[in-house]
Amino acid sequence: MIELHNVTKIYAGQTVPAVNNLTLKIEEGETCVFVGPSGCGKSTILRMINRMIEQTSGTILINNKDIRETDPDRLRMGIGYVIQQIGLLPHRTIAENISIVPRLYGWDKERIRKRVDELLELVGLDPDETRSKFPAQLSGGQMQRVGVARAMAADPPIMLMDEPFGAVDPIVRGHLQDEFLKLQREMKKTICFVTHDINEAIKMGDKIAIFEKGQLVQHGTPQEILANPKNEFVRTFIGYDRVVKMLTLFQVRSITKGNYSIIRENELANIRQKMDDEGAAVGILMNESTRPCGLITRDDLEKAGDVSPEKIKEIACSKKDAFIDGDLLLNDALSLMLEWDSDYLGVVDGTQLIGVVSLGDIRECVRRKEGE
Amino acid sequence: MNWERYLDALSRVPHELAIHIIMVLISLAVAIAVSLPIGVILTRPRFRKLGALVMNILNIFQAFPGMAIIALTMPVLGLGLKPAIGALVVQALLPIARNTIAGLYGVDPNIKEAAQGMGMSEKKVLFEVELPLAMPVILAGIRTSAVYVVSVGTLAAYIDGGGLGNLIITGLNMLWAEFIIVGAGFGALLAIFFDRGLSYVEYKLTPPGFSIIK
Repeated sequence: MIELHNVTKIYAGQTVPAVNNLTLKIEEGETCVFVGPSGCGKSTILRMINRMIEQTSGTILINNKDIRETDPDRLRMGIGYVIQQIGLLPHRTIAENISIVPRLYGWDKERIRKRVDELLELVGLDPDETRSKFPAQLSGGQMQRVGVARAMAADPPIMLMDEPFGAVDPIVRGHLQDEFLKLQREMKKTICFVTHDINEAIKMGDKIAIFEKGQLVQHGTPQEILANPKNEFVRTFIGYDRVVKMLTLFQVRSITKGNYSIIRENELANIRQKMDDEGAAVGILMNESTRPCGLITRDDLEKAGDVSPEKIKEIACSKKDAFIDGDLLLNDALSLMLEWDSDYLGVVDGTQLIGVVSLGDIRECVRRKEGE
Repeated sequence: MNWERYLDALSRVPHELAIHIIMVLISLAVAIAVSLPIGVILTRPRFRKLGALVMNILNIFQAFPGMAIIALTMPVLGLGLKPAIGALVVQALLPIARNTIAGLYGVDPNIKEAAQGMGMSEKKVLFEVELPLAMPVILAGIRTSAVYVVSVGTLAAYIDGGGLGNLIITGLNMLWAEFIIVGAGFGALLAIFFDRGLSYVEYKLTPPGFSIIK
């Protein structure tokens, strides 16, 4: 647990505080993302926690102990630190880079060797291929992975990450974020994460702290902040697509409903009857191998009027791709609805149909969450 | 051309060359022992302000012609090898100190930040990160100084310091071109030898990760 009490930092020769009277608590096992425009003081806060910068006033406690009571080098050995520029030692191999902190702790060679291989695998690198390479031989994404592995080497309970995925292209960044989230779900470390990217903050954070000019503006869960931006600054910082961003917090699975009818090829003729009987809003066309291969809504049927089963099949099959994986997010579902010009999507788990989701359900979800 | 004089001059080469090499090695060693710590200290945050002052003093030393330094050490340190070495040290300080400072400042601050942030002590950061990474630049400074000291070393003979300068001065006094050619020739060869030798050391000491970048 990290607590900051009335922490202020004024850099030498400046009158405006870089961080102004900040009080903030980061719970054990929680990822708190510091986000804000450049110069808002977010990196300064991070660097005060491992005493790379000393605060001008106020106290910082880690597990109820004032950090000024610990020798700075000792303190830092116990805190993982990842920076955007990574800062791998170019004259040391990857294995040597990762083993810096374990060597400071004086682990024996065998233990270090094992730990290095374990970490390389953990961050998705092949140990045999990577361990004796030099940093310059790796790609940007690989270097970031090594940077994260190095910070986790001695399994510190706390990690400070200053735009750790900022220096790679968006696709690699997405991968790294996903992998790190997966790791964190198991590791449950206490993480302070700095970024200027609100999307990254929403994705990575259990809590988000938004800063402006050294001042904490709003602190809360991504949902709280997206549902109730505290002021104009936060609103602007989030952007006009606030509600769409909120959709990224929920999986399609969470609002999937069962108001659909399964239609076999031989039932096409009395499809209306069957859907009425089952009170379904949408019919899912199944082929012989019980795979969903088409989708037709009540609207579609009404628009089509009285037509032959072949025509109905044609309409249904024209939306044969209007199915979405239950793990995907509501914003993906919305996008797919727009793409297929359909109020309904089928939701699948692999090839198994698990329900349908409608534009109305998404609206309903937003309305409910905004109210919370 | 007098072949006998050539042989005479050549017969004196081993002795003078040995003295010259000793003179150069000692001056270099002393200069490194003084300049390297100066360079390190002047790049530490607390002493950064002193940097300009010390570098200016060294610059003034460097601006003195070699001959003048040699001449000026005589009244202070007298005649012989020791004052000659003293003069050479003064001449060798600047390139090494300057390159040490440039090399240390040239180390990527992010690498230092990461090292410090992981809990490496200031000393560890200096010896395990900064100096190895600055080494190619520092060695280039030592090379410059070495070549410089070899050539200025020929002037040591004026204050009885010995070395290859003895041959040249004899040649000048007696108007024996052979002695001048032999003395100057070996001086040049020695300079080239030091330059190549140190550039090999530089190549060997360059951190392995660097050779990959280049």
